[in-house]
Parts: sequence; C-alpha cells; structure tokens
Amino acid sequence: MRSIYFLTTILAFSFIANAQTEINSSTFGMMEARSMGPATMSGRITAIDGVAADGKTIYVGTAGGGIWKTTNGGASFNSIFDKYCQSIGAIAVDPKNPKVIFAGTGESNMRNTVSIGDGLYKSNDGGSNWRKVGLENTEHIADIVINPKNSDIIYVAAPGPLWSKSKDRGLYKSSDGGKTFDKILFISEDAGCADVAVDPEHPDTVYASTWEFRRKPYSFNSGGIGSGMWKSTDGGKNWKEGKNGLPPKPFGRIAFAIAPSAPQNIVAIVEAAETGLYISADGGESWKKQSASMNVVSRPFYFATIVIDPNDPKRVYRPGYGFSYSTDGGYSFADASADGGWLHSDHHALWINPLNTNQLYLGTDGGVYISLDKGATWNFVHNLPVSQFYHVAMDEKKPYNLYGGLQDNGSWVGPSAAPGGVSNANWKAINGGDGFWVQPDPVNPDIVYAESQGGEVNRINRSTVKSVGIKPQQGATEEKLRWNWNTPIVVGVANKKNLYMGNQYLYKTTDQGRNWSRISPDLTTNNKEKQKQEESGGLSADNTSAENHCTIFTIAESPLDEKFIWVGTDDGNLQYTRDAGKTWTNVAANYTKAGIPAQTWVSSIEPSLYDKNIVYATFDNHMYGDHKTYVGVSKDMGKSWTMLKSEEFTGFAHKIKEDLKNKELLFLGTEMGLFASLNGGQKWFRMKNNIPEYILARDIQINPTTNDLVIATHGRGLYIVDDISPMRSMTKEIAEKDAVLFPTPPLTLTMGQFGNGGFPKTSGFVAPNPVSIPPIKYYLKERMSKGDIKAEIYDASGNLIQTIPGSKRKGINMLNWNLNMKPPKVATGGAKLDFGALLSPMVLPGDYTLKLTVGDTVYKSILKVVHDASNKDFTLEDRKLQNKTAMDLYKMHEELAAVVDVINAKQKLINDNLTKVKDSSLKRSMVAYNDELEKLRAECLATKQKSIFADEKKLREEITEVYAAVSGQEAAPSNLQIQRVTVLQGEVKKKADANKQILNKYDKILMDGLRKEGLSGEKKGF
Amino acid sequence: MKRIFFSFLLLGAAFIVKAQTADEIIAKHVEAIGGADAWKKVQSTKYEGNVKVQGADVSVTLTTLSGKGSRQDISLMGMNGFRIVTPAAGWNYMPFQGQTEVDPMTAEDLKEAQDDMDPQGKLVDYKEKGTTVELFGKDDVDGTECYKLVATTKSGVKETFFIDPKTSFVIKSIAVLKANGQEVEQASMYSNYTKLPEGIVVAMSIMLPFGEMNITKVEVNPAVDEGIFKPAK
Repeated sequence: MRSIYFLTTILAFSFIANAQTEINSSTFGMMEARSMGPATMSGRITAIDGVAADGKTIYVGTAGGGIWKTTNGGASFNSIFDKYCQSIGAIAVDPKNPKVIFAGTGESNMRNTVSIGDGLYKSNDGGSNWRKVGLENTEHIADIVINPKNSDIIYVAAPGPLWSKSKDRGLYKSSDGGKTFDKILFISEDAGCADVAVDPEHPDTVYASTWEFRRKPYSFNSGGIGSGMWKSTDGGKNWKEGKNGLPPKPFGRIAFAIAPSAPQNIVAIVEAAETGLYISADGGESWKKQSASMNVVSRPFYFATIVIDPNDPKRVYRPGYGFSYSTDGGYSFADASADGGWLHSDHHALWINPLNTNQLYLGTDGGVYISLDKGATWNFVHNLPVSQFYHVAMDEKKPYNLYGGLQDNGSWVGPSAAPGGVSNANWKAINGGDGFWVQPDPVNPDIVYAESQGGEVNRINRSTVKSVGIKPQQGATEEKLRWNWNTPIVVGVANKKNLYMGNQYLYKTTDQGRNWSRISPDLTTNNKEKQKQEESGGLSADNTSAENHCTIFTIAESPLDEKFIWVGTDDGNLQYTRDAGKTWTNVAANYTKAGIPAQTWVSSIEPSLYDKNIVYATFDNHMYGDHKTYVGVSKDMGKSWTMLKSEEFTGFAHKIKEDLKNKELLFLGTEMGLFASLNGGQKWFRMKNNIPEYILARDIQINPTTNDLVIATHGRGLYIVDDISPMRSMTKEIAEKDAVLFPTPPLTLTMGQFGNGGFPKTSGFVAPNPVSIPPIKYYLKERMSKGDIKAEIYDASGNLIQTIPGSKRKGINMLNWNLNMKPPKVATGGAKLDFGALLSPMVLPGDYTLKLTVGDTVYKSILKVVHDASNKDFTLEDRKLQNKTAMDLYKMHEELAAVVDVINAKQKLINDNLTKVKDSSLKRSMVAYNDELEKLRAECLATKQKSIFADEKKLREEITEVYAAVSGQEAAPSNLQIQRVTVLQGEVKKKADANKQILNKYDKILMDGLRKEGLSGEKKGF
Repeated sequence: MKRIFFSFLLLGAAFIVKAQTADEIIAKHVEAIGGADAWKKVQSTKYEGNVKVQGADVSVTLTTLSGKGSRQDISLMGMNGFRIVTPAAGWNYMPFQGQTEVDPMTAEDLKEAQDDMDPQGKLVDYKEKGTTVELFGKDDVDGTECYKLVATTKSGVKETFFIDPKTSFVIKSIAVLKANGQEVEQASMYSNYTKLPEGIVVAMSIMLPFGEMNITKVEVNPAVDEGIFKPAK
C-alpha cells in the first residue's frame, strides 16, 4: 500500500540508473540544521590568543565547540573549525606572522567529562584553512609556544591521555614550522607535559612543567613522582629539574608564567601536599613560597592558568575558581569586583591585549568575558553559542519549548521559535549547579523537573521558578545511596504519569515526586573497589560526585508497556523488568558475547516503538581508555546482541534514537559526530548540513508533532533539523533517480506565526526560526551545473502569478513560495524607492499549478492552498475582502505606472531632441510640453526629496500607504481603508485624464515637428 | 611475464592514485570553460541580468574592459546606481537607501577592486597575471566534494575556489572583501554554465548572499566607450 502511495505521489522526471548512488548527508541537501545556541550562558572556554599587532583579532578555543574568531574585539564571532575535532586545548598565533595559527585539539582541564583531541592543526591564513600537522595520539594538548624570534620553532606541551598509559605524552618541538616534531622531554607513560614557556629575550631558555595524573571511572589522581618543574637553556636538548625552594615532591600539576617584560621573574602554582604559590626572580634557579588565597591555589588540576602582564612584571593574574590579581608580583592578591555583573566561576584562559593592557579576555566555564580595567570588572560576551548540554527534552506547546541541563551552567528552558528568532533573552534559567536531565511534566505544563550533580532533583514551577527538592532518601535498611554525576530523570513513554530516577536502585513516582517507590534491588555490580570516592583527587582532595560509581546511568520505559522497564548502569549492567520492578533480568553477559566490552557505561537504551523484543543500546568504554563506538541491537529482549558497525563512526557512543514513524531510521550521537542510518543500522552516514562534523552529540529527541530532530551537543548548544519527513521517505530507488519532485502538503495561508516586534535585536546570538510555510521539495541526484531550474506558479485561470528561481544543489532542494503573487509594476523614476510597493498580495485559497522547469524539461504538480482556519481573527470572508481591496490597489499601481511610463517616454523624447531642434517655436512647445508633463509627473510620484528622512508623499506613495497596510496584514480592511480606495481610484483617473489632455495639447505638435526636422523621434522615444 | 603484467598494474594504479596538482586542476577547469585560447581573446565583456528581490526584478549590467575599467549598473523602479573601477580611481553610487552623492573609493578599496577589470577571471592565465594558487585538498560544498584552491592575486586579494572534479566547473567561490574596515567573506555559487558562440563557457546563474543573479545576455568583446567609466548621476 505504501509503495502505491509513493508511486502515485512522486513525480519522477527521468530515470537513468548509473553507478549506485550512496545515501548520505548530501542526499538531504538543503535540510540544514538550525543552530539554536543559546549563548546566554555560553560554555567552557579553554584557550584564547590574539593578534598582538591589532589587539582585536582574537581566537577562542572551546571545550566542545571548536574555535571561534573575532576580528572586532568580540562584537561578533565566526566558528572556523567546524570540520574538525571540537575539543580544543591550546591556540597559538605566530607573533611574527599573525596569519599563522596553531591549534592543539584535546582540552587539558582534566575533569570527568573532558573530551579528547586528534592532534595539532596549522592554518596559514588566519583560520580559513587548516591542515593537521601531527601529534595525533596525544589526546590532550595543554599549551603551544612559538619562538618569538624564529617562527620555525614551536613547542607543544602534551599531557597525554587521561584514561590510560601512553608513550605519546611529553614536550614536543618542531624546528621546521610544524612539518615535523621531536619529543624533547618525556618522563614516563604516566606523566606528560602540562605547561611550557619560552624566555622572550633568550628563546633557547625553555621552561616546562610535567604532570602525572590519571582518571578511572571511579577515581581521579593528580600527582606523582613524574610531576616536576624543568628548565633548559639549549632549546630543549638538556633539562634541569628545578628544586631549590620548591616543596618536597611529589608534585601534582604546576601552572607557571614568565613575566614577558622581565623574564627572570617567574610565578608558579605548585600542587603538592600543601599547594602553594612560588616566585622566582632568577629564572627558576631558586623559588620562594608566598602566602596565597584559596582562589590562587584551588583545584590545580582544573585551574591551570596564571598570567603576567606583558609590560608590567608586578601585575599577576590568577584566573581560577574566581578571578584574582596582584599588583606586587604575586605577594598579595585582590579579587575581581561583581560591579557590572556576575563573573562566571571556573577560569581556564586569559589573553591580555598587548596594545592596551587594560583590556583582558577571560575564558570561563560560562563563556568569554572582557575587562577594560585590568580585571577589576567584567562584561559578558553574548554571542558565543558554545553551550554544553547533557540532555534535551521538549514539551507539547506550539512552538514547543526546549529544556536541558549544562556543564556548570544549570538548567534552562527556551522556545524553538520566537518573534524575530530565538535570542538569549528568550531563555530562562530554572535550576542551578551543573545541569543534566530536565523533564517537563507531560501532564502538568506548569511543572518541570531538573537536577544538579549527584541527583539533587527539584520540582519547579515554570512561572515562578520556585522549586521543591524531591530527591529520594536512603531507607533504613539500604546502603548509602550512590547518585551518578549525571543522574537519570526519565518520564514514562507508555504512561506519561510515571517519573523515574535511579541511584543504585530504581525509583518511580506518579505524583510529581511527593511519594516515591523503590522498584528494584541494587541493579549495579556494587563493586566496593569502585566506591572509594572519598579518597579521590590525589594530592588535592577532589570528589564532587563526579567520581561516584556503581550507579544507574540510564532508564527507559518501553513505549509499548509501562511495566517493561530497562536500566543501564555505569559499571556494565543492563537489566530489565517486565512487571514494573518486581523481578529483574540482567543481560550484561549477553552483550559482551557480541564483542562489546564488559564494565562499560551503558550510555543509552532505546526500547523499540515497533516491537517489544527489540532494544537498542549504546556502550561507552572511554573511561578505560577505549574510545571506540559501541552500539548494539537485540531482537530477542537482550538474549543475543549484534553490534552495529560503521567505518564512519568516530567517538564513543552517547545515544541511539529510533525514529517515531520509520523503524528503519536510526540516529546515533557520539563524542565525535552525529550519524544516521536508513536501513536499521546496516549502513550509517555522518550527518553534516550545518552540523559540525565532529560535534559532541550527547542526546537526540524527535518531536512527534513537527517531526523535528533535536540534538543536544556538549559544546555547540542545541540543533534542530526541521521536519525529517524526507529522511523517512528516502529510498534507494528515489536516490537513484536524476530528479524527483516530492508532493507538497496543503499550504496554509499565513504570514508567519509571529510579527517581528518592529525592532531588530541589539546584540547577542539569535537562532533562526523555522519556515512558516512548508517548502516545495525536489531531489537532484547531482548538483546541476548546466541548465537552469525555475518554478512558475499559475492560478486556476492559467495566469502566471509568481516565478521563483530554483536551487541546484545535490540532494533535496527546497523552494520557498511565500504564497504571494508578483508585486505590481509601479510608477518608475521617483527620487526614492517606494519599498511598500514591493509587497504583493497573498493568493486566495484554491488549487495552483506548479510548473517546474529543470533544464529543458517542464514538470507540473498541483499546489493546494488553504485558508488558515486556526486564525479566528481573520475569516475566509475577511480574506476575500482583503484580497479584493489589495487587488484594487494593485491595479491602481499598474494604471498609474502606465501613465508615468508615457510621461517618462515623452520626456525622454523631448530631452533627446531638444538641442537638435532648429525651429524655435517647436522648441518652445517642447519646453512647455515637458514642463506640463513634469508638473503632472511630480503629482504622480515623489520626485524631489531624495533623503530617506523626508516624507514626500504623492499619489504613488498614497496608494502604497493603503496597499501596504491592506496586503501586509492578516485582517479585513477597515471601512476607511475601503473608502480610501475609491478616493484614490478617482485620483488615478484624474492623472490619466490630465495626461491625455497634455498629450492632446502638445503631442501632435511635437511629433509633426520632429518628423519635419527629420528627427525620427517616435522610434527613439518608445 | 606475470611479473611484468603485475608491474604494469602497479604503474597504472600509481597513475590513478596520483593526486592532482593545483596546476592540473586549473588547466582542466580552463579547458572546461572553453580553453585558454578562447579566453585569451576576451578583452571586454558585457553581462546583462537580473536579481529577484521579493519577486521584483533588479536589473544588473556589468561591463568590463580589460585593464581600463569595470562598471556595474543596478536599476530598480527606474532608480539607477553604479560601481565604477578604473586603474586610477573608483566610485560607488547606490541611491536605493538614500545615498545622494557619488562616493569615491578609498585607496585601499580601489587597490582590492583592481581585479574587477579582468574580464577573464582569476584562473585563466593565472601565473602570467602574478596570481599564486594553493591546493587545500578536497572539501564538501553542499554535498559535492570539490577541489579547494586558494588564489592570491598580485594585489594581495585572496579568493577561494571550489572546483567540482566531475565537471571541472567552479561551483563556489569565497572572496575576502573589506567592508567597514573589516575582512568579510562573501560566498558566491555558480551554475547554469552555458557555452557562448565565442567558445567560452560562463555561469549564467550566480547565487549571491542577497539572491540569485540570472544572466540574460552576454556580449563578448563588445566595443566599450571608456566614457562610461566616469561617474555621472
């Protein structure tokens, strides 16, 4: 039946079967994702470097959003790294040739959610084009320094992998501009290089700090004998460890800075048993400990930045948990003021404009800030949409709202569309801390559930943003509850009243968290060796619930049966119940037989909408140093598993999503990309089309009403692919055809769902709205380079009412017809443009014929245009009256244009011949003729005032005033507008009559006279 | 015998996998657009076309006389604007938004606009014109894998060209323009390549940021009165 439907609804232009056409991202051509941001809370910034020569070209590296460039000091930014790894560790601009940029991928703020990189990149043209130059296996790059006197010499500090041993750690040096690299400082497979600096006056003097560190899924260690402070005076050939005055080893992470204007002065924050600030005044030969505030020494593994003013060796900056600065070389520190607004905590990057050292650019967990007073106060940059979502959810409103939690940025809600686009101001914060799962209550639209780390869940009233804590508590006989950093909060699919949460146990509530029932035993492995979080951190205690382990990480209720619930844990268990929790079955042993490692995090479970026996799951083993993509499907309720594989896959898997209408259509989000399969997972392709290719795709949802695909990314905010219907209906057969026209759904007459508010947005990121009218869609197997594509639309009487140029892109193309006819021909030759006259009336409901010309061939289909019955303020009768009135004015414009055309032609004829005419009487008549025409012309349209600030209004403009008002709104015309039409009709007639009179009076004289003088005016004039 | 055959296979494979150089790609492109000989004869051009803005036609005429001048005329509702470039001076007049006087170009803008006076485009005879080209491998242009070439002209202007390997046509270019003291990238997409009687092949549709320009008439080597390269409202 379905195939018959396709045959009857799809018009195929031609069919030439050549080599098999691969279905991939390009097949979906113009189905481009909308980047929704938001930038209101922005995201983690990891690196900033600028062009010293101009002080306003700045590159910003982010934790999961690639690299952004501004050429205007931050007024606007462009992303310049969308085709590469999005996790950035370091950026360096060549001081001698600022078009040369190095970017080290792989952030080095070694938190639990840090992403890896895939090497070092170089651009020779300010970031427009990049090439990878090596260091592919370093995973994390902390710093890049270019010798200020010799651009060929580059040092790269690579801490190396976080989750495993590696020989690729260490300090690297290139002596040929990045063509080749040598490892010049290697300590061990456990200790890499965390920081590097070059003495600007003696660039063979190089300082480096090494760092021993390791994470496991359940612990973190910063510190060991491999950590140290090093100095070389021969460009890295020989190294000497600095000890004099430093605390006893072992060290943890060391961040240090040289004073550029007095490079013997160095400050270092040395993580040790007692972490301290150390100052050297002799180039690192000896050190002295200074007292330091909590901010200066806090969390050295995460706050690894210290910077000295380029011109003032006494001015030291410590971006850390907060922002501190010293004016006495680091002996004492003051903290930034909150005047001017809150400065987001957790700082990782600082760039000082060397041309104006008052001006600082700071990178935090919440975006970039600019200071104009040396760090005392700060302004937030509103246009960097690098927000780091963990999950996304939607409600059922129209337009629907998007909900999600973010790294260090709480939980937010914002609309999927808004007047003028979705701006920062449209987003509303609803919960604090780090945010993860946010669930709008599907039953009560006023209620939202949101959490902060470790399962601190609140029930929140959307209007008042008042919250009530509803976290389940430990029972008398229960073990201490183990909440994951990113605790699942899940709403039932089969029964929307069900709300689930899990620690080691699973809980369910049906009354908004007022009463919870525990519906499982401990579903984890409960391995006590993995539960020593209180000892975590290494030299500095650090256990913020990020290392909590043996916890439930994912929960999924079968869409077909509310008693059938799946649970996945972070220690490898995958369990289900078929009786709402009475009994549980663990299928962990089964998936390992398919080649998926044991103990992985079960990162998502997707019970099929179409068959209870089918379940998909993703498995994440990166915390054991294995970044492969593991996706499995079971068709027998978990008894046996098949791994879904693809050469396209990159990054460990976060989320698999089955389409709501086509069971063969699957989506997969990984740490390095978004993928789709149209055949149940046999073949996959990377989704591009405005989506960065290696995006950190953490969550995927599909809107059941709009058919939109919504993607939560950890570094580029949210993306929406509007209406994925073409993905559902795309088949191999269609893809093989040269061109296919898809049926257009009925087109509802609308001027859009919003007005524009009348005022542009002043600043900050604005996401575009979806189109209000469904586009006409057609498919091209290949991009069309020869021949043209044109769409013509005819009304029922066969009148051509609109022509639209067609795009020629490979894959699906979209034509947007605004349901208007062509604008009228208006009187020409005025002193200004009459912009209102560029408007055109909307067509009336009915059937229209689309004539699509592709190359030499013409194809037709019917477009059904229907009245918008949902707009109660604008009835069909109103619409008809509006159309009639608008068309009266439209014709009036064309009638007046015809009069003015004659005037213009006659005046041209007169002016072309006036100097040639010999007969003085004829000449006088011509002057008089021209004067009278000009007088009439000046009454027909504004001819005098060119300034846009002067409202010269003549008949053309008078008509436009009513025409624009009537045709440009969804309302019946008012009585006075209709009355005005009659008045203006009279005026147009008067002008036509006046024109005739002038012509009668002079034209014969002119034409006879010209003929007599042998001036063949008639031809020339017209 | 078998071994020799195998060597030939390897040799063949080596030829197949050999990456194309920028030179080779441009040579193929120039061949696809009619060949260097045909293009070298082009000393002047006049393109007429229109851009649809909200369904209304904006007519555009572009006249180029090699090394002497370039003039774009834009007309909407009987109102006319222009941009003129000559070796020594240039002017802009765009009255559509209320501009009342002709604006002379700044020295910097004029320098960057000098390439406007080349009716052959940047890639024909590029070496002789002092242009350097760097190949950046392949890049995806709206789903079509293209060669990506960055050309830098003698005057230092950079333009990135994306050439479809199947047709050797340029399907996209990104020019780096200076606007309001900032570098701005402007992308153009090219299609509807059509062979003219003179043997050259030109794109008759150019998608610009504000809409698609359709070329309706092309004159090759028309007589151009140099008087048109002077501003007059």
